[in-house]
Amino acid sequence: MIRRTLMGAAAVLALSLGSAGAESLRFAGATPALTMDPHATNDFTTTAIFRQVYDSLVGLDLEMELVPALADNWEYIGDATWRFTVREGVKFHDGSDLTAGDVAFSIMRQKDSRFYRSLFGSITEANVVDDRIVEVVSSAPDPILPRKMSRMFILSQSWAEENDAVEIPDLGAEGAEAYSIRNAMGTGPMQLVSHDPAGETHLTAFDDYWGDRPGNLTEATYLTIGLGPTRVAALLSGEIDLVVDTPLQDIDRIETSPDFSISETAQLLWMQLELDGTRDQALETFDRDGNVLDDNPFRDIRVRQAIAHAVDAEAIVDRVMRGHARVVGIASIPGFGGYQEDMDSRWETDLDRARELLAEAGYADGFVTTMNCPLERYVNTDDICRAAASMLARVGIDVRINGMVWPEFARMLVNGPDSSFHLIGMSPDSRDTQDAFTGYIMTRDPDANEGFFNWALFTDEEIDEKTRTLTETFDENERDELYRDLIERAKEQVNAVYLHQPAIVWAMREGVEAPIRADATVTLQNVTVR
Amino acid sequence: MAALIAQRLVQALIVLVVVSVLAFVLSTQIGDPVASILGLQATPADRLELRTRLGLDEPWPVQYFAFLRRVLTGELGVSYITQIPVAELIVTRLPATLELAGVALLLSLGLGLPIGIYAAVNRGHWSADAVLALSVVGVSIPTFVIAILLIFVFSVTLGWLPSFGRGQVVQVGWWSTGLLTDSGRRALLMPALALAISQVALVARLVRAEMLQVLRTDYIRFARARGIAPRVITLSLALRNTLIPVITVSGIQLGFLFAFAVVAEAVFQWPGIGLLFLQALGSTDVPVISAILLLTAAFFVAVNLVIDLLYALVDPRLRSGGMTGRADRA
Repeated sequence: MIRRTLMGAAAVLALSLGSAGAESLRFAGATPALTMDPHATNDFTTTAIFRQVYDSLVGLDLEMELVPALADNWEYIGDATWRFTVREGVKFHDGSDLTAGDVAFSIMRQKDSRFYRSLFGSITEANVVDDRIVEVVSSAPDPILPRKMSRMFILSQSWAEENDAVEIPDLGAEGAEAYSIRNAMGTGPMQLVSHDPAGETHLTAFDDYWGDRPGNLTEATYLTIGLGPTRVAALLSGEIDLVVDTPLQDIDRIETSPDFSISETAQLLWMQLELDGTRDQALETFDRDGNVLDDNPFRDIRVRQAIAHAVDAEAIVDRVMRGHARVVGIASIPGFGGYQEDMDSRWETDLDRARELLAEAGYADGFVTTMNCPLERYVNTDDICRAAASMLARVGIDVRINGMVWPEFARMLVNGPDSSFHLIGMSPDSRDTQDAFTGYIMTRDPDANEGFFNWALFTDEEIDEKTRTLTETFDENERDELYRDLIERAKEQVNAVYLHQPAIVWAMREGVEAPIRADATVTLQNVTVR
Repeated sequence: MAALIAQRLVQALIVLVVVSVLAFVLSTQIGDPVASILGLQATPADRLELRTRLGLDEPWPVQYFAFLRRVLTGELGVSYITQIPVAELIVTRLPATLELAGVALLLSLGLGLPIGIYAAVNRGHWSADAVLALSVVGVSIPTFVIAILLIFVFSVTLGWLPSFGRGQVVQVGWWSTGLLTDSGRRALLMPALALAISQVALVARLVRAEMLQVLRTDYIRFARARGIAPRVITLSLALRNTLIPVITVSGIQLGFLFAFAVVAEAVFQWPGIGLLFLQALGSTDVPVISAILLLTAAFFVAVNLVIDLLYALVDPRLRSGGMTGRADRA
């Protein structure tokens, strides 16, 4: 605590003196960094912060392309095994050298995490072959393992052993707090000074960092300011240098001021409406007279297509998102492995066509249904749901919106799933189109790790088969063809009504140059302050 | 006196039990902790395992008694989300809220008392009405709006005061205080004011009403007749008797300020109990939610108990006659 006070004093002093020597950045977001243990959470904000301290095995450049990091080389050697070569001359923050042992230890630690089952659950072994070589064996061949490894964080084995942090801190455990929650030992560009889950995380530059450091930061502080107006006020009054969750309504005001600038990029997440593809009778769905419908309109391809034609994603982007989003036309987004730019165009908004399709399906009078709508977690969901409902009303589908706070919404999905129609954000973990299909579009079978997040129970045999082929195919050309077939088929079958990719918007004071990255990480080694 | 204390303690205990049941039932109803902790990612097997280990598969009365046993043995559990012991989370956050509520109370008394006295002494004069009306405006604007306005004026436009946080704090034992540093005091000013404004009208109206009543009593008339200066009569003789109900109300107010600090804490990112509660609520962090609800209830009960006892000390008639006098007044 005393150290924290001194740090605070130092920061204030540095700020008031205009700082000679110490270049510091104070940046704020809406939610706190929960823990410094990189394997104990998959929270978006928290990951973006501990990424400064812990390097991933495979790196990401500013365009989210894979680059060598702690592994400077990787190759598939058959038998469901990938060989990773560990970079030489990498030091942990305590000065010790990174070894293949640390890498293997971290892989086995993280793969057991409940938060990383879908990414790393299939890893069975991580074998140290020699000083620099680790071989990773999976239960089945995994062509996209290197991409997944951009989310594998490496920590020091000896540090973990010395501090009783070999195991991931267990939830519900009684007694003392695990050491790794507020302490860290990684190889990243920044070193942890102190971490308070409630408030601030202090970092200083690590002098022996193995990578490039184009920026000039010597220290940085991440602060949580929950409320949008206060966050913006703190920026405008000069108390902080950078805001990472900028409220949409403040963007114009900040942008027009000469003392501040805005930087934005599309987030690795897209919003979509999901439609019940399995039930014989849709939940909470009625005819015009209020009688329960005895079939499931959403299972009819014509109804699905009608909804796709009726919901105008462009209008939602323009009005609800105030232009800070990108319309999504296929089940993949730029930056993902397997993204097909030439195919990315959305269904045309065509109300007449939608009415025609509904009539063909026997719903000329439309029907009445309920849309489950998560009220938090994603930007402006409330308004998105209302806009979609009013668009559907124009073709005769009356939608009642059932708004739910996130814990309630999550409970409905994981304990059911009990929803026939809902809005949700989709963010495949590994950032490969393959994962969109294995995780979200394949017929739901959690035990086989297929369609784990397919909450609306969409199902299509052709997609299931082709996806299974894709997960075993290593040849790039063959993969490309499969990607294209799958994307085409999913769109034709309307696995979901794709809407948009919300933007990440950063606001910063003049003199701060922070290159934005789509995973919302402020890569502090690239930040320059004047 | 002993009977009074015993009676109040029993009542306090009943209140605490009721609140603990409510806190518990509420926290099991607002969402699924397992879904909140594990997100959408974990396998059904993982969920089941965690559910069993946290005891969430038991019927709720069983869970409640387990919870009660833990509370009674001082084991408040570990936060699901941050994995830090709840007791530690609360201890580090408590000073912030108590300082905020305390200073807000002082501010509301500091503003409310003079306004009330002024309005009573100058009854009927337009300026008295104006001052009272103004204090009502204060109570009508939501704390949230006042807080944002303050930030806009004093942080963004004038740049005088910080818009968020506690500034620099000093550690005195386990207590972290912002009162000893300039930056800490500056950070405290706006949140405390935003919180206090809603209470000023209450204090002012109460003081005015009591004062008017006291000014009509015989001993004040005698004092006037004896030619004692009006200032002395008001500030020394009348005010003293006015203060009794004010003390009661201040106590209740302190409870309210403590509980409703949550709004000011959210706007100013004040690292207190209220903010902790909001964050816990958003993530179904059951151990934190229940502990804070219990703590708040205990705080209310304790404040009331102290007030009752103080009251008995101030007004000798109450010492033997039970609590009837208080009930009449309040």
